[in-house]
Amino acid sequence: MGVAVTGYGIICAIGNDASAVLESLKAERTGIGTMRYLPSSHKELPVGEVKLSNEEMKRMLGQDEKAIISRTVLLGAIAIRQALTHAQWPMVDGQATLDGRRESQWSMKGKRITVINGTTVGGMDITEHYLMQIKEDDALLPLLEKHDCGSSTREMADLAGLKDAEVCTISTACSSAINAIILGAEMIQNDEADIVIAGGTEALSRFHLNGFNSLMILDKERCRPFDKTRAGLNLGEGAAFVVLQASPDPSKGVGNRMSVADGDDSHRSPSPLERVGGRLFIRGYANCCDAFHQTASSENGEGAFLAMTEALQMAGLKPQDIQYINAHGTGTPNNDVSESTAIRRVFGERIPPVSSTKGFTGHTTSASGSIETVICILALLNNFVPANLGWHEQDETCITPTKGANGVSLNNILCNSFGFGGNDSAIVISRNPSPLPAHLLRKCHKICTLGEATITDIEQLQELRNFVSPGEARRMGKLMKAATITSLKALREAGIECPDAIITATAYGMLETSEKFLLDMLENGEETLSPTLFMQSTHNTLSSAIAIRTKCHGYNITYTQGSDSFEWAVRDARRLIETGKAKTVLVGYHDEATPSFQEFVRRMGKPMPPMLFSRSIVLSANEL
Amino acid sequence: MEQLINDLKLQIKEALNLEELSIEEFDENAPLFGEEGIGLDSIDVLEIIVLLEKQYGIRLTNSKDGKAIFQSVRTIAEYVQANRKK
Repeated sequence: MGVAVTGYGIICAIGNDASAVLESLKAERTGIGTMRYLPSSHKELPVGEVKLSNEEMKRMLGQDEKAIISRTVLLGAIAIRQALTHAQWPMVDGQATLDGRRESQWSMKGKRITVINGTTVGGMDITEHYLMQIKEDDALLPLLEKHDCGSSTREMADLAGLKDAEVCTISTACSSAINAIILGAEMIQNDEADIVIAGGTEALSRFHLNGFNSLMILDKERCRPFDKTRAGLNLGEGAAFVVLQASPDPSKGVGNRMSVADGDDSHRSPSPLERVGGRLFIRGYANCCDAFHQTASSENGEGAFLAMTEALQMAGLKPQDIQYINAHGTGTPNNDVSESTAIRRVFGERIPPVSSTKGFTGHTTSASGSIETVICILALLNNFVPANLGWHEQDETCITPTKGANGVSLNNILCNSFGFGGNDSAIVISRNPSPLPAHLLRKCHKICTLGEATITDIEQLQELRNFVSPGEARRMGKLMKAATITSLKALREAGIECPDAIITATAYGMLETSEKFLLDMLENGEETLSPTLFMQSTHNTLSSAIAIRTKCHGYNITYTQGSDSFEWAVRDARRLIETGKAKTVLVGYHDEATPSFQEFVRRMGKPMPPMLFSRSIVLSANEL
Repeated sequence: MEQLINDLKLQIKEALNLEELSIEEFDENAPLFGEEGIGLDSIDVLEIIVLLEKQYGIRLTNSKDGKAIFQSVRTIAEYVQANRKK
């Protein structure tokens, strides 16, 4: 059985749908330019904006123009509707068009449908716009419920017409969307869902624009991935989703043509993917951790090397079977040399054409993994290799990117996607499924807990000195301190120094550091913001810090889906253990509040969240 | 100059949350980076760049420019004295 892609949707700086994106790629037309929609004072920074206002997107989705909806949600809902339209999924009422004014829902009868979204910004654009007003005005309080990534995913799925679908959010910074596709593929492989709509969405926000700026990794010119003169990245925005389904075994003969339609599909016209010569598959994938630094990649590209190597292994392919690599290639001096080293380690002297498409789209952060997956799909279906815009001068420490090519035959493409904290993932997109047997669930395993530790009180943070030096502790906020203590105590009780995998659940993520950064920006303007706060604002900060501390290069992921976050994390841990992919998994559930957060909650009349909660458990197969 | 050095020590200690380092122990001639000295890293460089802009109106646009300036508190003080806008 393979994991087939039966539909896709994309919206980004170079086009509002797949055909527009394809046209821009072939014409080598960049979408990066002067800032128009983001209300930032940093107009000197080029960005890859989607060329639509929020009002225009609301109209496309049949929404009231005055409704307050996050741009992240709008972009995601448009991409999902495109993907389902493309997959020729039937609607219950109304037409499956983007212009439809009616709130139509997609038909879901008898199907288990999951939407998996990768995002880190979530509703931050709403929060940064309204926070100061919310402080004064109770009527605006409900807007805060749009802030967290999990609720923005729910709103996006509802708006896309999938009110009854299960939803899940992954937040591993810039590799979020590729990890969403990987989780979707795992769920299909293991028959946990009939249809998964997986990808990611990220709108530009002042928060992360200023955060990247504080790290001094934004180029004031157009980015030049892999070029000798490269001086940083340009941020972009967008969303892309793929529809994933199990591909029945071809040896079983008739009736196995893929269809998202229910029951009899004999009258159905072939979907666009079928018309252009077949199906595409997510053939292999891997999620590994560089375990090196919160915001920098290691010199030898270990995490990237492991991700590419393991993805090829799973795909049953050798390096020479890959005809194109879509690199992460952000354009920062550090990423591009580290990734080049990793590519050289995997491919040796025979490196296939490589390009970074971020010169077209900008770095779309959490959405980049799915945007680039769809770009790879377009390349496969249309027999071309996208160019590496902006490259002019060879850097000896980097690979030489392709100038682009037309009329080439592609069978297998490798797509890299890396995130802060060294959350490095890679997938192989192919015309054929992997010939290797999948690691399927072996239900015989019993899962047991080898160690656990919990912190609910700030007083307990005193214990930190037993585990880390004051020098190391100086940058840690309270949630990081708590997560470090509970993780290391649980591992110690389990008698394990380095687990095989690290999974974190968090409903709100790094609230304290994010709030400090945000308030500084709102009160004092978009200058002189603290890089230390920003680098500790992403949800995956905890998981990757623990990976760095334990030198864990294995699977590393962060779930943020409100009160369901921990359940998703445990589900993933069980899957890893039951499929034999990990023997020991560290699972953490970490959340914090701040005084102002508690004040908002009090004003809303809701139950008071604790200031601090951190619980870590080490799970293992019984027979360990 | 001695006043500026002292101010910088206090500002750096606070910005980088160097709780364990007393001002008396903070040697203005000791290297800021590497194990031989104070032991700061690349993120600290970025924080010091923010500090210089906030306190002295000095804007460094490339973190690489910082290498020569950020050798020690004394070299920072010399740079600030020559370039401060406030």
